[in-house]
Amino acid sequence: MYQHEGEDVFVIDGHVHYWDASKENIAHEGGEQFIQCFYDYHTGFTPEEKQWSLDEYRKYDKDRMVRDLFGEGYADMAMFQPTYLSDFYEEGFNTTEQNAELAEEYPERFVLNTSFDPRDGEEGMEEFERKVEKYDPKGVKLYTAEWRGDSKGWRLDSEEAFEYLEKCVELGIENIHPHKGPTIRPLNRDAFDVKDVDDAATSFPELNFVVEHVGLPRLDDFCWIAAQEPNVYGGLAVAAPFAEQRPRKFAEIMGELLFWLGEDRIVFGSDYAIWEPGWLIEAVMEAELTAEERAEYGVELTTDVKKKIMGENIAELYDIDIEEKKQELRDDEIADRFDLESQYEGAAADD
Amino acid sequence: MSRSAPIGPSDVIDRVERVTDPELDRSIVDLDYVDDVAVDPPTATIELTLPTAWCSPAFAWMMAADARDAARDLPGIERVRVRLRDHMHGEEISRGVSRRRAFEDVFDDAEDDLSAVRAQFDHKARVARQYDAVEALADAGVDPSQSARLRRRDVDVDALDGRTAVQVPNVDLYVTIPTEPIERYVRKAEAIGLVSAPDDRLFATIEGEPVPPEDAETVHRRARLTRTNMHGQGGICDRLHEARNGDRTDA
Repeated sequence: MYQHEGEDVFVIDGHVHYWDASKENIAHEGGEQFIQCFYDYHTGFTPEEKQWSLDEYRKYDKDRMVRDLFGEGYADMAMFQPTYLSDFYEEGFNTTEQNAELAEEYPERFVLNTSFDPRDGEEGMEEFERKVEKYDPKGVKLYTAEWRGDSKGWRLDSEEAFEYLEKCVELGIENIHPHKGPTIRPLNRDAFDVKDVDDAATSFPELNFVVEHVGLPRLDDFCWIAAQEPNVYGGLAVAAPFAEQRPRKFAEIMGELLFWLGEDRIVFGSDYAIWEPGWLIEAVMEAELTAEERAEYGVELTTDVKKKIMGENIAELYDIDIEEKKQELRDDEIADRFDLESQYEGAAADD
Repeated sequence: MSRSAPIGPSDVIDRVERVTDPELDRSIVDLDYVDDVAVDPPTATIELTLPTAWCSPAFAWMMAADARDAARDLPGIERVRVRLRDHMHGEEISRGVSRRRAFEDVFDDAEDDLSAVRAQFDHKARVARQYDAVEALADAGVDPSQSARLRRRDVDVDALDGRTAVQVPNVDLYVTIPTEPIERYVRKAEAIGLVSAPDDRLFATIEGEPVPPEDAETVHRRARLTRTNMHGQGGICDRLHEARNGDRTDA
């Protein structure tokens, strides 16, 4: 748990990966370019002394991940958001199956989401149901820019995608996390479109749409949609590291998000292993709006607001009772290994 | 031609400086995308590196083609070779742009030519520039609802050497503001045909309609949002560019 000005801040890292971009797993040059591009994001925003080597970055083990998140990273829980990229990587890049290795070992610490791809049709639907049956996920991560054969992406408002969203409703999967970051394809018309989220969110008011990366580089379109659709949320992965490297830009982005979405619809995610939650959470918790920024946007970034962003908002979406969780985490294996028991003591005394 | 001052790389850079990264509305020279320029009349060669190998091929093409056209404007330059380095479609784009082919002919899965993409970015650039212009007016005591009423003829760009004169109708208010933000705005608004006649409204909603004064605050906030997005994306490109090209001083 993070301590901020004498207060406990329960942290749920809403966006983590357990990936494999080792040379042996790369099936297509796109796979190599993909990890290189991720690595540029890593080195571009990570303080120099915290940077990994490219080799470390290609593939890391479970011990390291657990230590980076919970031992040194302040996170109390973390949420797996799979990214399959099956055409680029032999066994996939970051799949539900890979993630399950950790999630099943520490079920009290990890939330395991899965994924679907509407281009997989009937067969894909059966596979999706099988995964849901097996892993009981409460959310899906969707990567609309994924290449599949000749196709360079898909849309969330397509008929095929709607069939899967209907299936989510039927199966009780309420949280949809579309990745809306930079896309390179389709080449022109739709390259900067978040409108598909708008149509999907309107058509499925019973689902929550957590737009990962707050739509950057389309923050403006994203915020305008979110202002009108109460079931649209913003995931801070990619925006968060600005707190360290470009604090005034971070303040601007937070000002906009708080103005258009409000403090209840913003959720934190580190995007581990792109960035480690340790330094990232420190930077976000230390971030402040200047008096001028507060006046400009008419919003506050108080400790209470940060507590919502760091865990309370996403706990709400995933029906996680934070006080109960603290009791559960007090004596799990991870608390024991990293000597975290005392952090959760207060919770028990309060009850 | 050989007796006049020869065209050099700095002349090419001066021209290329006008080319913007469409997503950021900033000069590709200022953004440090131009690695090298060589001139061997009648040929000029421009080497570019973008912040990421995954930069949209459409955006990369636009920058490469605009750089080519800017350099071709120079007297004595008839041929411009553009080399886009370290990009996943670097070869196709370099070859296609240098041979003056069309984007949609080189990329057969492109749905269309680039005019729609250009229009979209011009539109966003216009909106972001409007924010800066309306802010400059607000600093001079003209609030957004008053700015909403301004027409092109009410603004005398750079009337006073670095300052622009603005006559606010109805309220008998005359102010001067720094030229740069309003000049940048007017240039873009005129280029996209939003403003042409003296009677045209100077500013517009996000959708390009006249601003109802009662909505002026909301329109201004949405314009701010567009500008914040550009700044944010600029920050990402900036960090990626540094990470990739090792501009930071190595310890």
